[in-house]
Amino acid sequence: MAERAGAVLRAGSPSALSGYLKAVGAVIWKDLTSELRSRELLGSMLVFALLVILIFNFALELDIRTRQSVTSGVLWVTFAFAGTLGLNRSMAVERERGCLDGLLLAPVDRSALFFGKALGNLLFMLIVAAIILPVYSLLYNANLFLPALAGVIVLGSIGYATVGTLFSAMAVQARTRDILLPILLFPVVLPLLIAAVRATDSILLAIPLAEIRGWFNLLIVYDLLFIAVAIMTFDFVVEE
Amino acid sequence: MMLQEVTPDTFGYMLFGYGVILGTMALFVLSLVNRFRNLRKDLELLEEIKHSGAKTENS
Amino acid sequence: MQPMPKTLKILNGVTAVLLLVALCLVFLYAPREAIMGDVQRVFYFHVSAGWVGGLAFLVTAVAGVIYLIRRQSRWDLLAVASVEIGIVFTFINIASGSIWARPAWNTWWTWDPRLVTATIMELLYVAYLMLRQGIDDPDRRARFGSVYGLAAFLSVPITFLSIRFFRTIHPVVIGSNDPSAQGAFDMTPRMLQAFLFSLLTFTFVYVTLVWHRVRLGRLAEQVEQRKMEMLTA
Repeated sequence: MAERAGAVLRAGSPSALSGYLKAVGAVIWKDLTSELRSRELLGSMLVFALLVILIFNFALELDIRTRQSVTSGVLWVTFAFAGTLGLNRSMAVERERGCLDGLLLAPVDRSALFFGKALGNLLFMLIVAAIILPVYSLLYNANLFLPALAGVIVLGSIGYATVGTLFSAMAVQARTRDILLPILLFPVVLPLLIAAVRATDSILLAIPLAEIRGWFNLLIVYDLLFIAVAIMTFDFVVEE
Repeated sequence: MMLQEVTPDTFGYMLFGYGVILGTMALFVLSLVNRFRNLRKDLELLEEIKHSGAKTENS
Repeated sequence: MQPMPKTLKILNGVTAVLLLVALCLVFLYAPREAIMGDVQRVFYFHVSAGWVGGLAFLVTAVAGVIYLIRRQSRWDLLAVASVEIGIVFTFINIASGSIWARPAWNTWWTWDPRLVTATIMELLYVAYLMLRQGIDDPDRRARFGSVYGLAAFLSVPITFLSIRFFRTIHPVVIGSNDPSAQGAFDMTPRMLQAFLFSLLTFTFVYVTLVWHRVRLGRLAEQVEQRKMEMLTA
């Protein structure tokens, strides 16, 4: 797989941008095809997410009154936990199979690898969210099909996948890798989660969008800031 | 709070506060001193091993 | 190990004297606050410790960036040294604040933005140390530390803002004051002098401690090097 992706990278056209995009695409494609074959990543993320919701159901006794106030929290905790699981797995696979080494040899900007991995992780998070939301709506008879909510989930997932990809690339190279990622990640994504939970809450309470614009701005600022940080620092994380 | 006319006696809390502040600082300084001492001992030991020519047995 | 430089020896003495004078100012010179009583005196060192915590983590972020550009291990030594001191002083800040809050707010802990941000900051840098601990290769350890130190530092203001959206009861002693804040007070000139002097003193304490801690790091590096030499010889 790595050889193929590497070959795609090397065969990139002289045009810098299209070569770059091809490299990003190759990394995503590699992740998707290997996932389609093994189905281990999405499967475990989904089962895990459903289990978390199940546990919340009994831990919080989600009756109709409490449910209204905790739905957003339950959803985001579920996404965050399932997300860490996916991030850990996605980087561990690279390490085990030595894919990353193959990709690093390719004459392409390292940030292309970062975007490939991050977009792949983002895609997996969004797929999990796309399955969890209807299940939650069905189980608790709540309408979660709101365009604004989809916006919050996309913005939240972008930031989460960005920081998560950067940190998981570091965590896999440490001795305590599986437990290290959440410890590194959670304190840094806390503002993102706060903003996402509050925005989700407001949307579910049907508060007009103009009043929750602050949270959206916070999400956007966070996403842009950490995309910039990740582009600047990813080189140093994968360097040998 | 406005209704209170006498200043409450919070001397104990003040002592406790400064105890924690200065105590923590002292603990940190002690830990620095301790680590310095251990490293110096290590360094001396390493020098000794080197000079006694016993490195083959020790490594 | 090189002997202690003369400047550092002088700095040791100056810092010790400053600390003693600051304590005198806090306990004897500054007047007793009328509403809260003596516990208000905790404020001087409480804020100063918080300042040192923030300064220390800023130094870590900057030193990390310089390390990534220059690749000289001394910048990494400075970054770790600063984190360690930042953790100690942020702890002092949180603990002393909590002790002050007990009589002033009638609780040890509230979910106020500054308290939570300080605590998150503490956790961030404990995570930083854990990351470093898990990596054996010194070059990689330094690179990862630099990256995480930068990301962590940038997240702190956003964390503060995001929690700030909730109402706060923490008093803002400097600058504009929210009338709903509890335990606020106006500083008399003497209080202000004691406060500014404490800030200055703690800045000296920070510089002195960082210097010693960097020297400790360098010594540890030497010991490591000797060990490697012995093993390969």
